[in-house]
Amino acid sequence: MPIPCKPDQSTITTCAYCGVGCGFKAETLEGRVVRMIPWKEGKANHGHSCVKGRFAFDYYQHPDRITSPMIRKSVDDPWQEVDWDTAFAYAAGEFKRIQAEHGITSVGAVSSSRCTNEEIFLMQKFARVALRNNNIDNCSRICHSPTQFGLSATLGAGAASQHFDSILQSDVVLVVGANPTEGHPVFGSMMKRAIRRGARLLVIDPRRTETVDSPHCRAEVHLALRPGTNVLVLNSVAHVIVRERLYNEEFVRARCDWDDFGLWMSMVGDDRYSPEVVGPEAGLDPDDIRRLARIYASGPNSTIYYGLGVTEHSQGSTGVMCLGNLTMATGMVGREGVGVNPLRGQGNVQGGSCLGSWPHMLTGYRFVTDDAVRGSFEDEWKITLDSEPGLRLPNMFDAAVTGSFKGIYIQGEDPIQSDPNRHHVEAALRSMECVVVQDLYLSETAKLAHVFFPGSSSLEKDGTFTNAERRVSMVRKVVEPLGGLADWQITVGFMNAMGYECHYDHPSEVLDEIARTSPAYSGMSFDKIEKLGSVQWPCNTDAPEGTEVLHTVAFPRGKGSFMLTGYLPTQERATDQYPLLLTTGRILSQYNVGTQTRRTANMVWHDDDLLEISADDAAARGLASGDRARISSRYGTTELTVQISERVNPGIVYTTFHFAHTMVNNLTSDLDDWATNCPEYKVTAVDVERVSAPQPVAGS
Amino acid sequence: MTIIWNELRALRDGVDYGTPPREGEPVTLSIDGVETTVPARSSVLLAATVAGATVPKLCASDTLECFGSCRVCLVEIDGRRGYPASCTTPVEAGMVVRTTSDELVRLRRGVVELYLSDYPDSDIEGGWSQFHTTLAQVGLEAGLPADHPYRGGHTHGALAVDESNPYFLFDPAKCIVCSRCVRACEEIQGTFALTIDGRGFASKVSPSQNESFLASECVSCGACVQACPSDALIEKSLFPEGYHRADSL
Repeated sequence: MPIPCKPDQSTITTCAYCGVGCGFKAETLEGRVVRMIPWKEGKANHGHSCVKGRFAFDYYQHPDRITSPMIRKSVDDPWQEVDWDTAFAYAAGEFKRIQAEHGITSVGAVSSSRCTNEEIFLMQKFARVALRNNNIDNCSRICHSPTQFGLSATLGAGAASQHFDSILQSDVVLVVGANPTEGHPVFGSMMKRAIRRGARLLVIDPRRTETVDSPHCRAEVHLALRPGTNVLVLNSVAHVIVRERLYNEEFVRARCDWDDFGLWMSMVGDDRYSPEVVGPEAGLDPDDIRRLARIYASGPNSTIYYGLGVTEHSQGSTGVMCLGNLTMATGMVGREGVGVNPLRGQGNVQGGSCLGSWPHMLTGYRFVTDDAVRGSFEDEWKITLDSEPGLRLPNMFDAAVTGSFKGIYIQGEDPIQSDPNRHHVEAALRSMECVVVQDLYLSETAKLAHVFFPGSSSLEKDGTFTNAERRVSMVRKVVEPLGGLADWQITVGFMNAMGYECHYDHPSEVLDEIARTSPAYSGMSFDKIEKLGSVQWPCNTDAPEGTEVLHTVAFPRGKGSFMLTGYLPTQERATDQYPLLLTTGRILSQYNVGTQTRRTANMVWHDDDLLEISADDAAARGLASGDRARISSRYGTTELTVQISERVNPGIVYTTFHFAHTMVNNLTSDLDDWATNCPEYKVTAVDVERVSAPQPVAGS
Repeated sequence: MTIIWNELRALRDGVDYGTPPREGEPVTLSIDGVETTVPARSSVLLAATVAGATVPKLCASDTLECFGSCRVCLVEIDGRRGYPASCTTPVEAGMVVRTTSDELVRLRRGVVELYLSDYPDSDIEGGWSQFHTTLAQVGLEAGLPADHPYRGGHTHGALAVDESNPYFLFDPAKCIVCSRCVRACEEIQGTFALTIDGRGFASKVSPSQNESFLASECVSCGACVQACPSDALIEKSLFPEGYHRADSL
């Protein structure tokens, strides 16, 4: 009898995957998750879902899960299963020995954007009170650190200005370097809803993505620019707005620094940024640049959504500033339906940024060098803090290779697979004396670890996530942690073993500590989030129920600042030897480096990273779809299966980065954003050559 | 100006108003003698739900625009001829609505008997879908009596189950062709992967051009599964022993 089994319990929680942060009801039967049902009251999703959050939850009980702590003297030794206290004592002993031999700053930590706000906060507290230094970083270093820098510099707040629903009030939607229907599918559906209601869609992206053209949703203008020319093209859009006097003088005079605006006008107004000059360099029709600028400026309500296609460049921060400048010049910020919004990748990467997991900043983006800020934490934590900013993650790796950095505590990240220039990261980890990895599985990075703490999935703990619209939502424990401890308990255990005594009965006490020390979170508590369902920061005495739209009256610093955004081409150039430009991105069914989704049936849709190449470039190399090809850059080589595609223009190739075995980051360079070290994943000069006869292309 | 998201945010877990909540001027009407005030542009079905009436429904859901195909949510309205579907009837000030009467019970029961004539007997007892709730609401929780005249007609029982998607299956034998899945794919997800193929008794849910769900344009977002009232589209995880039709055992 095909009568479905009926779940016996239901728990409202927040999705573990992307930065949309959908509300779900996790339904269990006899203690096992049998179904994830989208929560109708979730303000990020209104009862909608995507294939990842709705269905791909089995990773949590995959046989690959490690459930016992493990230690080993050398990475060549076999792992030895131990109890938690032994693991904490061993890791703490090693870290203390290393610090005694090589100095206080010879160790550091990295927090995970798949962990909760409370767990991220505890990681940076661990570095500051247990390691006694500021060597703490988070993975937004390699994705949206330019967002924080670029939007802070212009608008004064490094996060999305709107809530997702605000797009339903937009007349024009400009998507730059993002593919929401694949990367942020539930927001993508909301965007399509806005387009079907009559909003006009503009897209700047090297690829003809599904966002550009799908049923009843077609971009009116699509600028398929050459990778690496974002700043050039955005300056050209600004040029048209300035030279055709499409800017909003009233808004700029009232809300922004007028002298800055003058300097900015003369920069972007220069003939070098006219569409007729920029077009050929960026591979675009000048008329299209003009059309896009006019439509955006005409609004009446125009909004910008952007992704890693803006940030992951050597001028990533500059690109973000270009967007901030555009919103101010046209007055498209500070009300419903407008604004500028980063689409953030991981479920809690916004939290990763907010909660002080930075070598130079404490919670709420406040500098460790500021005595008053540091003092408030010293009072709370009863300890003297280091006033010297610490090392960024790539600098930790650099310092490891040169011999001054010897130990790292990595919470739920897999830098071997996710970070650029894999060879360098591997050499760095191999040179360390104690690598502590906290993860669900033996990741690529864990293979080079000395201590393994079995982490907990977000189904196994309480806490909060902050999504891409600054919305703080509850994560609730659905099942017990498979390894016995939730991630926050692991960090607290390690902290105590290091000699800093602290104790929490529940993560709500950590959020209370965050509220006590962080102005933007000062009004938050578990009770309030329970009551309201979710709360967008800033949440404080001025906004006790949170803030949906930023900058409505004034910018945080008062006046908005126009930043000068001169275009400097990346050093990464196509040459005779490396004539193609490789850019990377995501696909709907897989998530990030695939740690979770590769362990689910989502493999049916996508079981390999493929190389998309134009028919012209393929023909010139004798390649057909299904061929294996060797891809070489100045930094390394790898092999991928070829798929001839109309999505990419000649001269450009594209792949995803979801699989460990394809080692796409063998290819990527060590070039990075001038301001934040965010890697230039989006532009790598490569060549492609055929290595073998056709094989069936998966998923085609 | 209507703030659409206020309408989206008015959705409530565990409540199905039958049609999407609306913003608008307050309109007062009488539902089963209870004075009820709802925003203009709301449906009579929504007003009835607000008033605490439990009008049976199959094709209506508050996450989808009204459609009016199932004919189960019929009501009586003073001054109107016949038995209008409450989901497609907008509220008007002063309306007097009855959601239950002997004739309404008879009519709804008749409609649901027709659905039951093409629904597998083996899937009725123990079921907990909206379809099963509706059966109970019209007094048919035990299914059609053995001697019912609708028995023995054509059914969709011979159509194969589509188990191509790794996460959910489609059993056409349980499909009542209410189009909720098709509408969810269009209105909520925006992928337009589903359609109703054919006419009359032959009409059936079809992914893309009569392809399997896996081979179609479907992006597996789950909106159709969420929308299905009759267990035709359902998560495989709810069948730990696999999905076996009674007639195949």
